[in-house]
Amino acid sequence: MSSAGSSSDGDTGKIKVRAESVGKTFGEENGEQVVALKDIDFTIGTNEFVSIVGRSGCGKSTMLNLVAGLLLPSSGNVFVNERKVAGPGLDRGMVFQQASLFPWLTAIENIEFGPKNTGTPKEARRKQSQELIQLVRLSEFENKYPRELSGGMQQRVAIARALALDPDILLMDEPFGALDQLTREDMQGELLRIWQERRKTVLFVTHSISEAIFLSDRILVFGTHPGFVKKEVSIDMPRPRHKASKEFLQYYEAIYETIN
Amino acid sequence: MSNSKARLHLVASWAGFLVIILVWQGISTLGLVAPETFPGPVRVAESVVESLSVGRVLEHVGTSLFRVFSGFGIGLFAAVILGVMCGWYIDFGTILRTPIELLRPVPPLAWIPLAIMWLGVGESSKLFVIFLGAFFPIFTNTYKGMMTIEPNVIRAGQMVGLRGWRLLLKVVVPMTLPDIATGMRLGWSYSFGAMVAAEIIAANSGLGYMIMHGRELGLVGVIMFGIILIGTLNMLTDYVIQSLILKRFLRWHYVPEQK
Amino acid sequence: MKRSTKYLGIPRDAWIRGITMVILLGIWEGASRLGLVSQLMLPAPSKLAATLGNLATNGFPQGIIVFTHMRVTIFRILQGYLIGAFVAIPLGLMVGQIALLERAVNPIVTFARSIATISLLPLAIAWFGVGELSKVLLITYAAFWAVLTNTIQGVRSLDPVYVSVGRMYGARGVKLFFRVILPATLPRIFAGMKIALGLCFMVIIGVEMVGTVQGLGALIQQSRWFYRTDIAIAGTVLIGLFGLAMSLLLDFLERLLLPWAVGLEEVER
Repeated sequence: MSSAGSSSDGDTGKIKVRAESVGKTFGEENGEQVVALKDIDFTIGTNEFVSIVGRSGCGKSTMLNLVAGLLLPSSGNVFVNERKVAGPGLDRGMVFQQASLFPWLTAIENIEFGPKNTGTPKEARRKQSQELIQLVRLSEFENKYPRELSGGMQQRVAIARALALDPDILLMDEPFGALDQLTREDMQGELLRIWQERRKTVLFVTHSISEAIFLSDRILVFGTHPGFVKKEVSIDMPRPRHKASKEFLQYYEAIYETIN
Repeated sequence: MSNSKARLHLVASWAGFLVIILVWQGISTLGLVAPETFPGPVRVAESVVESLSVGRVLEHVGTSLFRVFSGFGIGLFAAVILGVMCGWYIDFGTILRTPIELLRPVPPLAWIPLAIMWLGVGESSKLFVIFLGAFFPIFTNTYKGMMTIEPNVIRAGQMVGLRGWRLLLKVVVPMTLPDIATGMRLGWSYSFGAMVAAEIIAANSGLGYMIMHGRELGLVGVIMFGIILIGTLNMLTDYVIQSLILKRFLRWHYVPEQK
Repeated sequence: MKRSTKYLGIPRDAWIRGITMVILLGIWEGASRLGLVSQLMLPAPSKLAATLGNLATNGFPQGIIVFTHMRVTIFRILQGYLIGAFVAIPLGLMVGQIALLERAVNPIVTFARSIATISLLPLAIAWFGVGELSKVLLITYAAFWAVLTNTIQGVRSLDPVYVSVGRMYGARGVKLFFRVILPATLPRIFAGMKIALGLCFMVIIGVEMVGTVQGLGALIQQSRWFYRTDIAIAGTVLIGLFGLAMSLLLDFLERLLLPWAVGLEEVER
């Protein structure tokens, strides 16, 4: 594989996330039940960038929440670093779909939220958050409140906040879904840059096929009712990828067929 | 939500009331406070039966409801018409809103002495105060609704050939209805409060008078009964306005309840 | 745009408003002087200005000057308001987090709010007499329920994504409460505090009309017995200004204390 950066790393191939016949059912035991996910199996290697694509209602966000530990599986197990997930942990950072920044904290305070909870001393915290805000190129906006920032800027802060505890794994739930197309494409480039600089394992949920192809090493295509892994596609293209290239369009075509 | 959980929640929503009534009765049964000052629910019922007749109570209820509905009705009518006109003719609105905005911060009850001096202690002074309670919140919300209509909806109306009055009645006013509804609920609670206050301060009929009179006779049971009756009536009428009228006419606006 | 036109540096709207005021006052003054309306019923603005001066120096009734009335009213409101809010906020934060408790409390809150506070006046007098205690307790009642409802609603309508973020980044228990749930609820609590203050103001004016000679409500009610419409109008104007000043003060406080939240959400009631 020729993806720049990540794949040449020494750890590559070591399993970071593993889902073992995971199922998730919502609802009470004797009430109405909805089966969201059924028999999900997959693994994600260290520093790999993996996307989940599928129609709305295919349980892709549920899957992400299971890896995050915000939800627990009804059957099967999720392992992170070979430990069973029983709740959220600091080895995983998450970027949410909509504006999830705390409106009462400034950009820099939002970034420091995690380190503050873990008791990192103030000076270390400041130094690190300064670095992160530089990484996401928002140094001039550090003291702005979220409502004073554009949607794209807010998601950059959210990414910096997720990186602040230096997690191994970055979980992203349609992070660019609410942005306009041009901003979205900028952010995709930014994300790749940050991923290559910081060496993270990424699990990225999106409903945009082209976004998934542009970003990922590998794509898990989910089917619906209940959600299951319909197909796995490795994207064997050098980065940066061009969305109009013939290869790109072939991948697009193949995944589009699978979903429909 | 599952059935068992829903049932538990239903029980809980009645349990709160039940606990209060039991504690209330408990305090008086144990004789912690003198029954003349703090009668229990049973004693309240007894004293109501002793000193009031059903006909008398219904008369007070009728008088109060008639007052509040009339005052509120006039207020609603005036507020909606003026609010819509102020939003439609901008300069007229600026002129008319000048005195209205100045009078708005005066709570309706503060008008009672003036109303009595101007209009006498009869019905008209009470109606005036109740009217004011409804007028200001409904006017403010109607005007706000007029000013915050999505411009594209008006443009869409113009594109299908609506002009002038027809545009106003077919597009602009319907778009303002949800705001008018908000104002109506607020206005109703102010009108109701104004009615009770006016009856407590100067009246010889109605529920406010009934409880004030109960105090003069030292009948705490009657006062308590009156208060509960006032609360119940206010809640019922608010419910009628809210769910039966507004939700029927504004079905397009209200999203089915979540939970 | 037509509406943003300025003349002599003053916006058009301000001109219209100013001229309207001048014309209205002119008509009022003229009508009163020419005897078109009864001086007794609607005294001229110039007469009212004199009355205001008189209220500030000689006072009414029994020589109580207007500043005393104001002080008494403010003090009554503040006591009841603060007590009500301080009890309601922690209680609301607790009730809002426990669904079953919220279910049990909800009908009681709805009913309690339906009872017009002023209707409790006869009961309060019967129990505690016509003194200060009755007045403060009624204010407490009005403030309590308004703040309680809004605090409960604030917790209930908390965006669950904030809690998820908190949990993902190591905030649990007390930390989750103080760093996420409480700040997220503050704007709604503040909205409740605003509504409550308006209600308290309305209630105190009514309550002061019975059995007291001190306070702004007493001032206008007492004027009735002497048929002094000038005092009633002057007093009512003062009450309006007073109400306006209070809501401006609260807006200012909100901007100061919650700069991040201004205009964040519109709340009804």
